[in-house]
Amino acid sequence: MELNDILQQLNEIFKDILDLDTLVLTPETTARDVEEWDSLSHIQIIVAAEKHFKIRLTAQEIQALENVGDMCKLVQKKSAQ
Amino acid sequence: MQFNSITFALFLPIVFILYWFVFNQKLRWQNLFLVVASYVFYGWWDWRFLILLFISSLSDFIFGYLIDKESRQFRRKTFLILSICINLGMLGFFKYYNFFVDSFIDLFSLFGIRLHASTLQIILPVGISFYTFQSMSYTISVYWRQLKSTKDIVSFFSYLSFFPQLVAGPIETANNLLPQFTKKRVFDYAKAADGMRQILWGLFKKIVIADNCAGFVDSIFSNYSQHSGSTLVFGVILFAFQIYGDFSGYSDIAIGTARLFGFELMQNFRFPYFSKSITEIWRRWHISLSNWLRDYLYTPLAISTRNWGLAGILFSSIITFTLCGLWHGANWVYVVFGLLHGLALSYEILTRKQRKKWSKKTPVFIYDSLSMLLTFIFWNITLVFFRSASIHDALGYFKGMFSTSLFSAPHPDIGVNPLTISVLIPLFIIFEWMQRDKQHAMQIDSTRMSRPVRWACYFLLIFLIGMLGNTGDVPFIYFQF
Repeated sequence: MELNDILQQLNEIFKDILDLDTLVLTPETTARDVEEWDSLSHIQIIVAAEKHFKIRLTAQEIQALENVGDMCKLVQKKSAQ
Repeated sequence: MQFNSITFALFLPIVFILYWFVFNQKLRWQNLFLVVASYVFYGWWDWRFLILLFISSLSDFIFGYLIDKESRQFRRKTFLILSICINLGMLGFFKYYNFFVDSFIDLFSLFGIRLHASTLQIILPVGISFYTFQSMSYTISVYWRQLKSTKDIVSFFSYLSFFPQLVAGPIETANNLLPQFTKKRVFDYAKAADGMRQILWGLFKKIVIADNCAGFVDSIFSNYSQHSGSTLVFGVILFAFQIYGDFSGYSDIAIGTARLFGFELMQNFRFPYFSKSITEIWRRWHISLSNWLRDYLYTPLAISTRNWGLAGILFSSIITFTLCGLWHGANWVYVVFGLLHGLALSYEILTRKQRKKWSKKTPVFIYDSLSMLLTFIFWNITLVFFRSASIHDALGYFKGMFSTSLFSAPHPDIGVNPLTISVLIPLFIIFEWMQRDKQHAMQIDSTRMSRPVRWACYFLLIFLIGMLGNTGDVPFIYFQF
């Protein structure tokens, strides 16, 4: 899967969970840039992404994520396995 | 050494001069000097406390290195667990040993079994909850590969013993503070002046606001059965301002002091009493602790229970807040305090969408003021537990509060005129409200305020501290945690 596709799909997941219709993510976006993206919605996003891409992340992988770009790369790596 | 003591007033300028003018040639000397100064600062209470600080620093320096070097997952995890066990072991023994022994004896006596176990005479080392948490943040971050381990033992020791924030925070993560020790610090007049302003404001909050409330609060809480319901309400509101002035005042002094030495600590309080929900209050109150708990307790818990759906999130929040309560001290009142906040947070999680709808239907001003008021009321209710000596006393306090005398005029008859504090607190709130978007209430733009006006403000504050301050050398509340 292309990174750009993953970003588009993640963007939809974020919009849905955070209830923000106009949200546009870039690989550099971090939780600091989006007010609604807090520790609570973060877990909900992870769960939704795991379901959507049919992958299972480890706790360490989730902890090491710093921005949306990291998340895209991780999804790409995991879904290729 | 207390920040509000004469000893510290002598200690600070001496350390400042030696730091910038004698040991400024080499970064390593400067850091080593900070370690020595910090150990003197901490050893002033009791030199034996230094042993614990030393053990925590040395073990986490070694474990951090071992975790980073090791690639085998099993070994990495073992090192992490050992490091956490040493820190929590020290904390558990010195802070909670007697509490657990007593609680077990009570539990068994409920079933008619009498246990004989002796509690120990243990002195609680000042600030142990703060530096053990800071130390753990380092090894956990290295384990999660968010941070490389450091090989610079002097920097690491100065990071863990840094005297401005050693005994009551902000609990700095290694990510923010540790790199500042490895970079050369250059004296910046504007920053140092801002640091001084923040120290002055912190002293005002502590000595004028908090310490003036302290007398009333102590007397009302220790004789709650003698007072009318309205006096009890007055007592708990004063306690809300006492604890805020005390702890955020301490943080201001800590952050300001660090700035004098060229360090930037994190903001620890963001005008919490203007919060519109309990979720928000915890983002503005003791931020460094909430962040720590969020990153190192809540998130791992929520990740491991994420298959339970919403129940996992609620479970993690309630556990996190209950332990947050217990962190404050070995007493059931703190557990109840934390549990109530966990429940309130769960309520807010469950009603998030509903509340968003309500807020759209109500005029902003009304919705916001009402939310602020309700949040503050809830906070005060939980503070009754926080301040009471036991659950029994807290319930007694509530019983006294919700009686017919609730509608009489408050009458805290303890020989001191409550007028000063009744005038000072509203003025204090107005000033903080005006400055609520700043890093701290005394942050001023020197280009927009002329020098005479600025100095007039400083002198006014110093005058108020001198005139109205309670100079009884009241210790900071949070040092006992």
